[in-house]
Amino acid sequence: LLTQIIGVRDEYHKRMIMEILEDLKLIVGNRVSVSPAELYCYSSDASSVEGKPDYVIRPLNVEEVLRVLQCADRYRIPVTARGAGTGLAGGAVPLLGGIVLDMSGMNKVVEIDIDNLQIHVEPGIVHEKLNQVLKPFGFFFPPDPGSSAMCTIGGMISNNSSGMRSVKYGTTRSYILDLEVVLADGRVINTGSKTLKSAAGYDLTRIFVGAEGTLGVVTKARLKIAPLPEHRKLVIASFNSAESAGRAVVKTFSSGLVPSACEILDRTTIQVLKQCDSSLPLPKCGDVIIMETDGSKTTVGESAQKIMNICIETAQSVRVVSGTDEMEEIWAARRLVGASVTRLNPSMSRVYLGEDIGVPMKQIPAMIRKVEEISERLGLQAMKFGHIGDGNLHVALFIDVLDEDYWDRARCAADQIHRAGIELGGTISSEHGIGAVRAQYMIDQWGGALDVMRAIKRALDPKGILNPGKMGL
Amino acid sequence: VIQNHAGPDVTEVQERSKSNLDPRSIYTCIRCGTCRSVCPVLEDQGWESSGARGRMLIARELLRGRQIDRDMVNSLNTCTTCSICSESCPAGLRPPDIIEGARRELVSAGMKIDEHAKLSSAIKLIGNPFGDLSPRIGWLKDKSRLKGRADLVYFAGCFASFRYRENASRTFDLLQRFGVSALRDERCCGSPLLRTGFDATTVTEHNLGQIRAIGAETVIAGCAGCYATLKDDYPHEFQVLSVTEFLSQRIDELNLATLDITVTYHDPCHQGRKHGIYDQPRKVIREICELEEMKANRNHSRCCGGGGGLRAGYRDISMRLAKRRLDDVPDGVDYIVTSCPMCIRNLKEAGGGDKVIDLVDLLAISIGAYESERSKGVM
Repeated sequence: LLTQIIGVRDEYHKRMIMEILEDLKLIVGNRVSVSPAELYCYSSDASSVEGKPDYVIRPLNVEEVLRVLQCADRYRIPVTARGAGTGLAGGAVPLLGGIVLDMSGMNKVVEIDIDNLQIHVEPGIVHEKLNQVLKPFGFFFPPDPGSSAMCTIGGMISNNSSGMRSVKYGTTRSYILDLEVVLADGRVINTGSKTLKSAAGYDLTRIFVGAEGTLGVVTKARLKIAPLPEHRKLVIASFNSAESAGRAVVKTFSSGLVPSACEILDRTTIQVLKQCDSSLPLPKCGDVIIMETDGSKTTVGESAQKIMNICIETAQSVRVVSGTDEMEEIWAARRLVGASVTRLNPSMSRVYLGEDIGVPMKQIPAMIRKVEEISERLGLQAMKFGHIGDGNLHVALFIDVLDEDYWDRARCAADQIHRAGIELGGTISSEHGIGAVRAQYMIDQWGGALDVMRAIKRALDPKGILNPGKMGL
Repeated sequence: VIQNHAGPDVTEVQERSKSNLDPRSIYTCIRCGTCRSVCPVLEDQGWESSGARGRMLIARELLRGRQIDRDMVNSLNTCTTCSICSESCPAGLRPPDIIEGARRELVSAGMKIDEHAKLSSAIKLIGNPFGDLSPRIGWLKDKSRLKGRADLVYFAGCFASFRYRENASRTFDLLQRFGVSALRDERCCGSPLLRTGFDATTVTEHNLGQIRAIGAETVIAGCAGCYATLKDDYPHEFQVLSVTEFLSQRIDELNLATLDITVTYHDPCHQGRKHGIYDQPRKVIREICELEEMKANRNHSRCCGGGGGLRAGYRDISMRLAKRRLDDVPDGVDYIVTSCPMCIRNLKEAGGGDKVIDLVDLLAISIGAYESERSKGVM
């Protein structure tokens, strides 16, 4: 009987899928797919979460998005918006099936308005390409995630992404002036204006930034831009402990200096990087701090000297790097550090679990110690690196992906890391988002405030069709 | 509802693991999407299944024993095997190798596209992908120039033997100065079969027999596809060099004249990214004339769309990739030089026309100019 019921249900499901497909084809033509190949390909992002959609749609304009949402609203089908699918928390994975809206085809620059320090774009534009467009004008969009070459602005907005330079420039949230958003029922609203500031009513823009597509689908974004700095320099210092490194960073900031990037690479990370490439211009050992200063030639020189003077008191070694190629080589190595372990040992891979903890800057050494204790207890190796200047610690656990026991230990480690982060007054995610993998910690993170988030969700998406199963909502 | 299944079900993998699909490589892909930023087919098509990461996911589904459908076949077969994804993969994976394994899996399950099946039949029955019955070594008028035994042999490849015979003849003329002979009964190197998932034993064994019979210690390939195949897929019994490598080592003996022209160079993927041959062609060109680089060059070079079975199976995509590659050509150059006949054909047809030439053609122009000047007593 059960088999019969399942058979009838599956048959009904199939018929519904095909009926709705006809409606969707009327909206986007052949840019909707139900092919198993496509459904498999859109069932994952860079996290450890999977969920297969029923449809993949590649809209090209706001009209198509709103009509798809009206259709989804009518049939109560889940809709999950996706940029490049580079997310690390399952934010773009359709846990309950339904429609995946691949927004990467909506990638046009609508207007470059240098005089008003802004650019108006569609959400599918890739971060690196956006900055290539701005470079000839001497401007840039400062948030700089490690996935710059492939991630889309829409994904950055939905996860409030940032990166290495957020310590000085802030996160994506600080650069959004206005969003065009399609709501769950197909209404289209604008959340801001062309002005650089506004005191008119609730700050709706900030509600949609970091909402991971649970409140609406972003179809255009007006972004604030900043002038490209004329010069940059790096100060690289090696310390005999993470605590000592942390103290130098705190002293730098308390001296009134604001580096444009402030990174820590723990001794394990340094060992892996040097084993991968011994010629890499980084210290051979120790816990390493990389601080970047940017601005005019004079300012950069003076700041670098001051930072060096601070570090030299406790560091094993300090040096200043000003050659562009050398700086690029160091940043490139830093960006790829997570996956580099596989180059060293093909049987080990980095997994994205517990990888985006944030704590108050001063607590970074304590958090590093906690991670060391947790990983040692569970018999795992972990690289610890990240944006110490804003308290964001990336933990790279490496495991044998074909060994289920390793997976269990890694999940256990991630759980303990998240809880340790909260205990230290931190956040379970600094820049990668909550998605599905961190949803279970939202109640511990927010307590009663989560009810307010849920109320906002209900008000804007009463049928719960927008990216269901995410953010603990 | 939440499935943490990025890791495999080990039992499932053990049961389903097949020699064509390497679970470790497939599951080592962390789906970071770095390859999205470089895959030329994804850029053209837009769907995730048309990029390297999508193909890795489809390989994963094959490993999990999912039923194969036509779109999965198309996804796997639209890879040009250009390896630009390998170049950028932070985990050091080589997606084209995994994709070729998945293609073998498809072929063994009887899921092949007609165009590839036709290529396979032609190669196995006739010895070349064109099904051309004319004599393969027709480019060599005087067969007495062939030696019974030789340390060095020229492997012309199917394109030069049947489509660009003048080029084969010109190349041989140059090589023969250095004691190079050729195989009497060469057949397709097997590249089109191996890249598309078919078995190539018949032709590789045949060629191997020929190479052994002549006693060659070095095989010199005129085509990037043959070069990569001879180097990677044949037993390592002999040294494999590309014509470019061989001649760049003998540049002082070629009697070259300087030409007042500017050319650009297109790096063939199977010679460049696969085997790091970047400096040698540039050394030869700079000896002759000015070289102006393409917008994307060396390891960042864009694929012409001609390889990996893409042209045979999906001509429209292949042509669009070639047209896109031509956008990288700097304004005002006299020639677009390359070292692979498949690239030459695609770039010519996509609009490059007579401007697209082989490196050997450039050498021939330079040598011709030298001889002409010498005969006039200028030298």
